[in-house]
Amino acid sequence: MKMIAVDLDDTLNDFTATLRQTHFAYDEKFAVAPAVFDQYLQRIRNGSTEVEDLLSTEFSFFRAKIHLECYRRAKARADAVGFMRWLRQEGWRIVICTHRDLRSSYRHTKTWLDENGIPFDQIFRAGNKIVFCKLWGIDILVDDNLFNIEYGGRYGVKVYYPINDQNRAVVGVGARGFETFTEVRPWIGG
Amino acid sequence: MDWRVSLIKAFYRGLPMDRAKVEMSRYGFDFLEKLLAGDMQLEYGELTLANVLHKYKLTNISEARMDELLRSHVEKECNICLYFDKRINSTFCFNLDNNHATNNTVIIPEVELAVRALVERLNNTGCNTLVVASGRGYHVWCRLASPVANTRLYRFMLHTAARVNLLLHEHGLDPLKLKFNFYPDPRIHDVVSLRLFGSEHAKNKVFSRVFTADGLLDEQASWAYFEDYLNTKTIEVDTFNQAFNSVVAPSVKRS
Repeated sequence: MKMIAVDLDDTLNDFTATLRQTHFAYDEKFAVAPAVFDQYLQRIRNGSTEVEDLLSTEFSFFRAKIHLECYRRAKARADAVGFMRWLRQEGWRIVICTHRDLRSSYRHTKTWLDENGIPFDQIFRAGNKIVFCKLWGIDILVDDNLFNIEYGGRYGVKVYYPINDQNRAVVGVGARGFETFTEVRPWIGG
Repeated sequence: MDWRVSLIKAFYRGLPMDRAKVEMSRYGFDFLEKLLAGDMQLEYGELTLANVLHKYKLTNISEARMDELLRSHVEKECNICLYFDKRINSTFCFNLDNNHATNNTVIIPEVELAVRALVERLNNTGCNTLVVASGRGYHVWCRLASPVANTRLYRFMLHTAARVNLLLHEHGLDPLKLKFNFYPDPRIHDVVSLRLFGSEHAKNKVFSRVFTADGLLDEQASWAYFEDYLNTKTIEVDTFNQAFNSVVAPSVKRS
């Protein structure tokens, strides 16, 4: 069977745009003071990659809540939905492969996929998607992540990626960027 | 049935047995097909890079399949983690972890003091504890003779842990270096699961040894302690209620 792994955030949806543009109203459920709320929100929107000494903090809790909200609100790319339906028609096994913490986000994720009519066979969380694809015998990964674009080809995983401002200049062995998902169909034999 | 499976089923009775998180090194679509034979379903999978461990959240597990999984658990072919009931439970557990992002399998002073203080407090109120080394800290289990509402269990655990954190603070230690989680947590009962006794830790392959005042027991002694707890240390609900009143009620009155 033909197998493909497809990322969710900023591949099938507009996660980053949702994170940056959505107005998040202050709510006690975030368990922080209003001033801290604004500060943390700005930090998340700036894509802070600051390495923290502790795993579970007030900020990590807050970030998880905001991300969960974005998973729910993010819009599916119309061309991505069409591509996924085409994969199903063509008999591909479709694995959704994400960095999301599925313990807390599985329900939101499943609901979002169903509501957008996006077919899939399995959902996996993988810390390293290249390792995941190699172990599971999946040759094709659709993903916007810089690391995967750069290194996938070296390990025999063909990476196709929606071009965005972050990955536009990245070069990966065998990786190909696209503006719309319809470009991918002939690359994988459609 | 393997005597260890019987003990586990008896100890954790009341936890839903139709769903589980299964941790194992096996993977691949052929394997997945065999695993899901029958009506069992995969909600989601996970690949962690600790020894290339795979985790599968499985639902719709029949009793016979759960028995098979538990047998694999005691034979160390996989680890079974169970979820808690939505409303009532007859076990509850404090999960104490080293909260550092790296090198977090080390028992830090905060965890060391917290587990000893917690066990002392619980035992003093008649809530006998079964303490199991978890890899990043300890699971402090209590088993009740009959089920109690989750909200009540959670309040008890929250107030007890708050007092332990206060003690850490008084000893000049940083409570933030320690992470407390409570099971069942009424907000996320179906989200988080706990590894059962009898497992091996994924990172260091160390058996989930029982921790006592004298230190960690070996595997055989841990099973004996587990059996003894089940037979002689289960907590009567009246005892739990008295403990609840002594821990929670004074705080409520003060507030």
